[in-house]
Amino acid sequence: MNIPKFLVKTAFAASLAFSAQVWAVATPGQAAPDFNTLDAAGKTHKLDQYKGKWVVLEWFNEGCPFVKKHYGSHNMQELQKKYTEQGVTWLTVISSAEGKQGYVTSATAEGVAKKHDLSASAPFLLDPTGVMGKAYGAKTTPHMYIINPEGTVVYAGAIDDNSSANPAVIPESKNYVVAALDQAMAGKPVKTAATQPYGCSVKY
Amino acid sequence: MTLIFIGGILLQHSAAAAAQSENEQASGDHVKLSWLAPDAFSRTQASRMGVYFEVDPGWHVYWRNPGDSGAAPRFEFESQDADVGQALWPAPSRLPIEHLTNLGYPGNVAYLFDVTPRADAQQLEIKLDIEWLVCKVDCIPGFGQMALQRPVKDGPSSWSRATQARVEQFVAQLPKQTPAQLSAISDRVRADYSSGQLHLSFPAAAPQLRTLFPLQGNFVNAAQPLKEPRDGKQTFVFKTLPGAQPPSDLDFIAADQNGDYWQLNNVPLRSAASVAQSPELKKSHELKKSPELSKPPRLSYSAVFLLLSAVLGGIVLNLMPCVFPVLSIKVMHLCDNHGSSARRLGQALAYSAGVITTFAALGIIFLLLRASGAAVGWGFQLQSPLVVLALIMLFWLMGLSFLGMLSFGDRLMQWAAQVRSGSSFLMGMLAVFVAAPCTGPFMGAALGATVVLSPILAMAIFICLGVGLALPYLLLAALPGLVNRLPAPGQWMETLRQFFAFPMFATAIWLSAVLSKLVGPQVWWLISSLMLLTAFALWGNGLSNQFARKSVLGFSVAAVAVLLVTQPLAERGEPTEQSDGWQEFSQRQVERSQALGRAVFIDFTAAWCITCQVNKQLVLNTDAANELFQRNNILRLRADWTRYDKKITEALSQFGRNSVPLYVYYPAGGGAAEILPQILTLQTLRETIAADSHHLSFQSEGFLP
Repeated sequence: MNIPKFLVKTAFAASLAFSAQVWAVATPGQAAPDFNTLDAAGKTHKLDQYKGKWVVLEWFNEGCPFVKKHYGSHNMQELQKKYTEQGVTWLTVISSAEGKQGYVTSATAEGVAKKHDLSASAPFLLDPTGVMGKAYGAKTTPHMYIINPEGTVVYAGAIDDNSSANPAVIPESKNYVVAALDQAMAGKPVKTAATQPYGCSVKY
Repeated sequence: MTLIFIGGILLQHSAAAAAQSENEQASGDHVKLSWLAPDAFSRTQASRMGVYFEVDPGWHVYWRNPGDSGAAPRFEFESQDADVGQALWPAPSRLPIEHLTNLGYPGNVAYLFDVTPRADAQQLEIKLDIEWLVCKVDCIPGFGQMALQRPVKDGPSSWSRATQARVEQFVAQLPKQTPAQLSAISDRVRADYSSGQLHLSFPAAAPQLRTLFPLQGNFVNAAQPLKEPRDGKQTFVFKTLPGAQPPSDLDFIAADQNGDYWQLNNVPLRSAASVAQSPELKKSHELKKSPELSKPPRLSYSAVFLLLSAVLGGIVLNLMPCVFPVLSIKVMHLCDNHGSSARRLGQALAYSAGVITTFAALGIIFLLLRASGAAVGWGFQLQSPLVVLALIMLFWLMGLSFLGMLSFGDRLMQWAAQVRSGSSFLMGMLAVFVAAPCTGPFMGAALGATVVLSPILAMAIFICLGVGLALPYLLLAALPGLVNRLPAPGQWMETLRQFFAFPMFATAIWLSAVLSKLVGPQVWWLISSLMLLTAFALWGNGLSNQFARKSVLGFSVAAVAVLLVTQPLAERGEPTEQSDGWQEFSQRQVERSQALGRAVFIDFTAAWCITCQVNKQLVLNTDAANELFQRNNILRLRADWTRYDKKITEALSQFGRNSVPLYVYYPAGGGAAEILPQILTLQTLRETIAADSHHLSFQSEGFLP
């Protein structure tokens, strides 16, 4: 009977036509959501081009006091330097929508990068539509993700355990990203794989 | 003499207060801080004082667990003369901030502290270093110092009336120690965790709770939990942080219906892992802590529960209005299978195979779409105009065949014979296609879980639903007594078959109504032309003149092709019109009403969901319901999912669902949303609203803003 096949085929074709909108969020232990995002220099970044590499994703908003805490103290840039030197790909993402706090255009982004002494692997990834941010479920700036060379999320959450906006607390804070990267890159299981992120809401 | 003396002290005192008032306050953008302290501290008792935050309208400060973003204030006290206890946090409100939920205070708030003077202190000096975050959408951190100097006196501490009243206002919002009522049941509160959801269920004896707030943010999501009444028990369903390691126990603040708050501490958490955790496993605790990346999902209690509800849901689906269109097919099947019991069973098995295969096929498509990142909901098959059109034509053809129209031609006759003798597999398919999109009892939760479960478990759920749907029919066919009760085969069967053509046509009409909702009313032209042409072709196929036959068939095929090419099924339906009292669903409306303390009822529906239509006619659109909604000032929102709609799909997923019907009630005063059963009755509606009457009456008397 051809009709059942026809129906199934039709259903499949028709349902494929639905607008694709990403549902699941980045979850430790599961495959990282794909992304396809332009950076400030106009270069495309996709997850699969980083297969075989450790990737850190960091959500950024220049107007957010918690981002200022980690950039004003140079804490973030030092981490970026330390780990990119070890071959880690560090991508700093801006998901602020046009008209919202922290929105940058490709023209202004490089200036912002310079001003912040950004030491990531690329100038800011620009995600004004929020597609990448929502795919990852990025809630706050800074929200941090670590992806292993197989493309699995190994950490998602806060940068450290101190939600104060005061940079003075950084030295005595426990940095979750450092702990997770060091454990994972040494082939050990990540002890704390998910934490509650803190900071400002991502301005989608 | 005495008067003068007292006056002198007062003068002295106020002069000192004026001098200190400079550093007795702190301020920052959008926020002003001051002490709520007694004029003199008691030497013998702890005094409960506060740090008062006055915030600009629209701005807020945070609870100890700030929720999805933000930060709790930090207090660092320094004093030689007194012990200052831990901060006491008044119960928070849920503040929706764009895509996030924050836990904090929508207006002014006082954080409270118990202060006990040291034994020999005459004068009390306290210094406070304070950091806060005040947010609207953007956030501004603030830092400040405040000092407090007060005398210590014998007897109780003395307060200005206004200050004391303000402190008491916030003391009333402090969670109380576990009350007798709750403590008696607290060890029976159960927290079950599986695949991203936490179920917190209270025994029947527990007082009615409005909502709960997680004390820590590292596992339980801050978003409003879903309240699911389950056999008289209250169950609150929370989302959890993706990938977070479940802790051994959890702490909550519970809000009851009287505006009181209770501590609910150390609720032990049973997770899939901990259920399976045997004593030996406990030793290798470290092992358990590592993220279990590649291990197959363990079957937890809740997974078994989900699979059982899937089977049960499938069985119950047979009784739902959704199945009416295919009911006649089934009845005919049962009557038709007058052959040997083996043949009957064979056909029943074929039918079941059709049902299960289709469920599995739809499941695979669903999972493929899910994996490719698309947001689809169950019922997607009837959201596609092409599928609906194909179904219309199929039902039309089946109706014609039942009337005997297909008894000509050789190839077609074979096909018709298959249909007539019940191509059981096809019938099974149709049953799923037409009936499964709308959800019955037990089915919603199981289907909803397929979104978050592993593909294997999700497929198991689809298959269980199919098994459930097929099961009663299979049992009926296997019953030996049934066939004996039927009259002997004869003319009555032919008559019955012809009669069943009409339910087929009725279904075609119903599906046409669905299609016209999907692509606009002008589609009637396409549908009726296709019906005309197919009937014409069937007639032509029976002609004996070879030439005439070929001409008719050729013409029909060409005309159908021209029609399909020139009348593309573009989705361009008109905006769904809302009948009086109902407004179109939007998440913002819900949030606004919630902020204003107004109750909201949402009807998630679709034209292709017959159960939804039945509920609408029998309950929601009746005068009695209308009166009930109006009297209680309940906002009525209708979310029409006939066409695919991203926002509605997202809203459904918030409730752990991906299917309709779904009825949701947000109580007045901002409690947890409650899901009503799929078979709605006026009685349920009345009871749900009556349970909320406390807040509703407050609201109508204007106590809530």
